[in-house]
Amino acid sequence: MVKIFWVTCPECKNKFYCHYKDLRHSGEKLHCPYCDNWFTEEEALNIYD
Amino acid sequence: MPKDLRTFLEDIQDELLVIDRPVQPHKFEAAAVVQSLENKGLNPPVLFRNVTDMHGRQAKGFQLVINIHGDRLRLAKALGVSPQDMRMPLVQEFAKREQNPIPPEVVSASRAPVKEVVQRDPDLSELPIVRHNEMDGGPYIDMANVVRDPDNGAYNLAFLRNEYKSSKKMGVFMSPRHNLMIVQKYRERNKPTPTAIIVGHHPAFYLGLQTRSPFEADEYEIVGGVMGEPLRLVPSETWGEDLLIPADAEVVIEGEIPPGTLEVEGPFGEYPGYYGPQRRSPILHVTAINRRENPIFQTIFAAHREHWLMGVLPMEGGIYNSLRVQGRFPTLRQVCLPISGTCRFRCYLSMKVRAEGEAKQAAMDAMGHMNKIKLVIVVDEDIDAFNEEQVLWAVSTRARYDHDMDLIKNAQGNTLDPTVEGELMVTKAIIDATEPLHRPYGKRAYPPRELVEKIDLKELALEK
Repeated sequence: MVKIFWVTCPECKNKFYCHYKDLRHSGEKLHCPYCDNWFTEEEALNIYD
Repeated sequence: MPKDLRTFLEDIQDELLVIDRPVQPHKFEAAAVVQSLENKGLNPPVLFRNVTDMHGRQAKGFQLVINIHGDRLRLAKALGVSPQDMRMPLVQEFAKREQNPIPPEVVSASRAPVKEVVQRDPDLSELPIVRHNEMDGGPYIDMANVVRDPDNGAYNLAFLRNEYKSSKKMGVFMSPRHNLMIVQKYRERNKPTPTAIIVGHHPAFYLGLQTRSPFEADEYEIVGGVMGEPLRLVPSETWGEDLLIPADAEVVIEGEIPPGTLEVEGPFGEYPGYYGPQRRSPILHVTAINRRENPIFQTIFAAHREHWLMGVLPMEGGIYNSLRVQGRFPTLRQVCLPISGTCRFRCYLSMKVRAEGEAKQAAMDAMGHMNKIKLVIVVDEDIDAFNEEQVLWAVSTRARYDHDMDLIKNAQGNTLDPTVEGELMVTKAIIDATEPLHRPYGKRAYPPRELVEKIDLKELALEK
């Protein structure tokens, strides 16, 4: 798979993954598929890349 | 009567599982039923007769069908091929049809079932859109999108994932293939791309649109060839004759992809069985919905058996055409892309090898036809490529790994393959599991054939 990073939602604490080139350090808000929360990378509980 | 989803449901009514209790597709409930069946090794097509819309209200008049493509036997039925011929003869039938395109027929709206209801102020939230897998970014329509080349007018069709975002907006993920090339042409002109999503049609329609045709080919014509009849088309509501849509579909959603606008979309469970990551994808502004009075909404059970099998015939048939019909391997007997390789990553070729190196050359040609293939195993013609046990027996007894196995590093793969590094790079492999030509080799052990053929199992009460 293309390079990804795992992110932990600050709201529901579930983890999902994103396309590194498209979204890492992009300033774009990420969308939690579990709780519909939108949040920035800075707000994420954890990022694993 | 023209072929459509309803004529096919008639053909398979004996295996159709009908569920009447209320189901909320956008809350995974329809997918969970199919998963539960899959867990028990069952793969029936499932018709949900009581489904909700995106608000949890009854989607009045709508039904939902899943898993039409989840069994090779049903693919055979889609092409009118008998069950005993559902392996290589079915591949050859598809291969023949894809080479004989039939021009479409344009009909008036009054003769088009998809025009029974036309919504110029559409609301996607009224549809029973399915959420398939737990980490999907939202409910998705995962059927076929059509776009038209602005230069030569050819139609391009492809299965794409379309994420429900709001009543008039979807996110659309496109791999770098022909449809994206067309969208880029509109983008260069700073114009939106007219697009339609075709939901619910005969499986031969969906098989036909997956052929590996040249960029310039008109895929409505190829679909007609695979269906064995002209595809009936009707002018769209938004662009009239400038974008024709299938007249016998259940639902067709029209919309425009604005140039240069990307939004967060995904993740989505994809063909490898893994999720494709959340990313920035084009969006689709919905302009109209055409549908039947009581439409049967359709979805592919993404990342599962149906997703794997839906593309198997176009790929096996395409490789057969490429290597044998148009190619230089007249002794190629079988092409199989097994389910255990998601019908994409692994390919088994059965052939009579006539010269040293021919097996490897055939393997490389198969890889050249399809960049998703990562391992090709070539076996002799006595091995049934559709019998994985026989294929692996041949690997175990005929391949010397130091001599007969090759690695191809830094080759182009597919963006959704979980093993890809960087953007698209993978390592591929070839195993030549054919007997060597240059030295004496052993003989497969069997009782005398003439005696075996004389045995009547019914007489021995071993077979009914």
